[in-house]
Amino acid sequence: MGKIKIIIPRILITILVIFASIQAYAASCPIKIGGLAPLSAPGSVTGGEAMREAMLLAERDINAKGGVLGCDIEVVITDTEGLPEKAAAMMQKLITQDGVVAVGGGYHSSVGVASKDVANSRGIPVVFAETWNDTITGDMQKYIFRIAPLSSWASGVIWKFAAQAPGVKYVAIVTENTDYGIPAAKECVEGLGSKGISSITFGVDIGTQDFAGIVERVKAERPDYTIVLLTGEAGFNYAQQAADAGFGPQDTMFHANQAGLESKAWWENVPDGNLAFMARIGVPETMYSDSALKLAADYKANTGKDGIESYALEAYDSIGVIAQAINEAGSTDGDAIVTALENISHDGVLGRIYFPYGSKKSPSEDGKGSEWWHQWPDPAITMVQYQKEGEPSNTMTIVYPEVYKTGDPIYVD
Amino acid sequence: MEYSAIFWWTTLWLLFWGVVGSIFTRRVYLRKDLDTSNSILVGSMVGAAFGPVGLVPLWLKTPEISRKLILIPAFVSVGIMMIAFALADPQNNCVSNGSFVASQITNGLIIGIIYGLMALGLTLIFSILGIVSFSHGEFYMIGGMLVYYSTVVWFPGLHPVIGVLIACLLTFMLGAVFERLFLTPLYDGRIDRPVEYGILITFGLAFTLQYFVQAVGGANPVKAKRFFDFPRIRLPDKADPWLIKTSRGNMELFDTISISNPRFVASVISIMVLLGLLYFLYRTWTGKALRAVSQDRDAATIAGINPHHMNMLAFAMGGMIAALSGATLVQAFSWLPQVGMIPAMRSFVIVVLGGLGSLPGAFIGGIIIGLVEAAGTGCVPDPQKASSYIPAYGMIVLTLTLLLRPTGLLGRRFASGTHGKL
Repeated sequence: MGKIKIIIPRILITILVIFASIQAYAASCPIKIGGLAPLSAPGSVTGGEAMREAMLLAERDINAKGGVLGCDIEVVITDTEGLPEKAAAMMQKLITQDGVVAVGGGYHSSVGVASKDVANSRGIPVVFAETWNDTITGDMQKYIFRIAPLSSWASGVIWKFAAQAPGVKYVAIVTENTDYGIPAAKECVEGLGSKGISSITFGVDIGTQDFAGIVERVKAERPDYTIVLLTGEAGFNYAQQAADAGFGPQDTMFHANQAGLESKAWWENVPDGNLAFMARIGVPETMYSDSALKLAADYKANTGKDGIESYALEAYDSIGVIAQAINEAGSTDGDAIVTALENISHDGVLGRIYFPYGSKKSPSEDGKGSEWWHQWPDPAITMVQYQKEGEPSNTMTIVYPEVYKTGDPIYVD
Repeated sequence: MEYSAIFWWTTLWLLFWGVVGSIFTRRVYLRKDLDTSNSILVGSMVGAAFGPVGLVPLWLKTPEISRKLILIPAFVSVGIMMIAFALADPQNNCVSNGSFVASQITNGLIIGIIYGLMALGLTLIFSILGIVSFSHGEFYMIGGMLVYYSTVVWFPGLHPVIGVLIACLLTFMLGAVFERLFLTPLYDGRIDRPVEYGILITFGLAFTLQYFVQAVGGANPVKAKRFFDFPRIRLPDKADPWLIKTSRGNMELFDTISISNPRFVASVISIMVLLGLLYFLYRTWTGKALRAVSQDRDAATIAGINPHHMNMLAFAMGGMIAALSGATLVQAFSWLPQVGMIPAMRSFVIVVLGGLGSLPGAFIGGIIIGLVEAAGTGCVPDPQKASSYIPAYGMIVLTLTLLLRPTGLLGRRFASGTHGKL
C-alpha cells in the first residue's frame, strides 16, 4: 500500500509533465517567422510580391524537410508599403501580436532602417534580404543581420560600370529621397568624382508619378549617362516618360532600377525600355546550384514568370538561414539564434551564407568599416542589359564584370 | 543661385509692400464706406507691384475695384519676380535656355488641362450636392484600370478609345447607383450631420474601390498601350525638320518644344471632353438645369427642375469626369490601386484655388497649378529639391490666394452647400 502511495503520485506527476510538455509543444508549433515585403504602393509592389512568393516557397520547402525543432514553420508576411513608419509598426505587430521568433525579408532600405531598432530592442533576430543602406548593419546591433549587398558596394558596381562606358564625362543621377536613394546617389557622385567624371543629382519623392518636368531638366543638362535610383513604379514611370521625351534607354546610356528585372512588368510599363542597364544580385542562372535551379523552376511554375529575380532569391535565403539557425540553436530564444547565426554556414540559393563579423570578431580587426557587422560578404553583383525588346530577364546579357560576362554591352551614342 | 541677394531682397520688398497694401487699403475703403470685398487683394497686388508709388494714389482715389485693377498689378508683380530671378541666376535653364522654358510651359499647360478636367468633376459634385467627394481619386483610378482591363486583359486588341468609352459608361453607372443608394439620406432629413455623412460615405467608397481593385487585380503596376502612335513627320523637309519632327512617342516643334505622345493625346481628349461638357452645361436644357440647381436650388425647383435627378446626374458625371482623366493618363503613368491619391489631393487644391463650386475656376486653377508645378520643377536652382517640392508649389499658391481672396479665384462669396436638400 505504501508503495502504491508513492507510485501513484509519481505516475500522476509524470502524466502531468507529459501533458504539460505536449501542451507546450502544441503552443509553440508552428514556429512563426516574420516576412517583410512591400505589397502595396508606394512600395515596390512588383518586388514585394516576388519576395512573398519566394518566402512562401521557403516555408513549403523547409516544412517538407521536417520543419524546425520538430515543428512546421509559418512565415507571417506583412505589408510594409515601403514606408518607414509602417515598417516599424508592422515589426511591432509581428513581434507582439503574431509572436514571431525571427524576421526575414525586407525590400526598401528605409524599411530596414526604421524597423531594425524595434526588433533589436525586443531581442528578435532579423535577417534582412534586400535592404542596402549601410547603416542597417553599420549600427552593429546584436540582432540585425543582412544577406543583401551593402549600398556602398552595390553603388560601386553601378558607378564603376558607368565610368568605364565610352565617352562618359558627365552623369545625371535621378534618385529617390529615401534611405536607399540618398546614400546610393552620394556614393555614385563620389565614385564618379574619383574618376574625374562630374555629375548632377536630381532628388524626387517616393511615389512620384509625373516626371515630365524633371526629365526635361535632365535632358537640358545633356548628360552622357543617366543613373536612375528610383525603386518600383517610380522607376518605371521615369524610364518611360524619359523615353517619351526622347531621352530614355534607347536615346542615351541609361541605368534603370533593378525592379526592371521583373520583365513582364518592365515591358508592360516601359515598352521603350530596351537597352537599359540594371544591377542584379546573384550569379547568372547558368551558374545556379541545384537548389537554386529547383527554386527557379518552382517559382516560374507558380508565377508564370520567365525567371526568378534576385530579391526573390534573397527573400528565400533569408527564411532558410533563419530556419537553420533555429535548428542549430535548438531553441527559439533570440540570443541563441544570434549565436547560431554568427556561426552559421548555410548552403542557400545565393551561395554559402555566413557572417564573418560579429561578437566574435569585429570588422575593425580586418580594417573594415562597421557596416560589415553581421553582413554576408559574398553576394555577386552583375550589370545586365536588355538587348532585345520583350526579352525575359533571365536571358539578359551580363555585361559587367568580366568574370560573369555573357556578351558585350550595347552603348547608345 | 549666383546672386541670390537680388532675388531675396526683391521678394522681401514685394512682401513688405504687399502686406502694407493689404492691411491699409481695406482700412481706407472701410473708412470711406466702400465695398471692401476685394480690397485686401487689390491692396496687396498694387503694393507688391508698385510699392508706395501705387498705393498712395490708390488710397487717395479709392477707385471701384475692377478686374483690371487686380490683374494688371498681379502680372506686374509676377514680372518683377521673374526679372529678379533672371538677374539672380542668369545661368539657370529657365533663364538661359529658351527651348527648355518652352517645353516646361507646354508640359505645364498640358498637365494643367488634365488636372483641370479632373477638378471640374469634383467641383461639379460640390456645387450641386454640397459635399466634397473623397472618392474622386478612386474614380480616377477605376477609369484607368477599366481602360487597361478592357484593352489588355478582357478584350486584347480592343482600341483604347473604346476602352475609354467603356470606362466612362461604367463609372457613370457606378456613380449613379452609389448616389441613389447612399447619398439620398442627405436630402430628406434622415441625416443630422450631412457634411460629415458625405465625407464618411465617400471615404468609405474610396476604400472599398481601392481594396476591391487590389483584391481582384493585385497591386502590381499596369499600363495601357499608347492610344495612338505619332505618324513619322519631318517638316518642312527631311534634312532640316525645324518645324515639326515626330517619333512614335514624341513630337518636337520648332526644334524646341518637346511633347510626349501620351500627354498630347490625353490633353487633346481632355480638351474635346471639356468643350463637350461646356456645350452640355451651357447649351442643353439638362446642363442649364444643373447650373440652375447649383446657383439656387429653390428657384430651380419652382422652375420645374427635379433637384434629385440633378443630384444623381452631378455625382455620376463628376465621377465619370475623374474616371475619364484617369482613362486618358493610364497610357502615361504606371497604374496601381493607390494611383488616385495624389491626383485627388491636387484636385482639392485646385477646387479651393479656383473657388468652391466654380466650374471655370476649377479649370483655370488646374492650369495655374500645372504651370506653377512646371515652373517650380524646372527653375528651383537646387536639383535635389526641385522635384521633391512638387506638392508644395501648389500649396504655396493656394495659401497666398486664400489669404488674399478667401473665396478662391472665381468662387462665389456666399456659396454654401445645401447638401442636396430642397
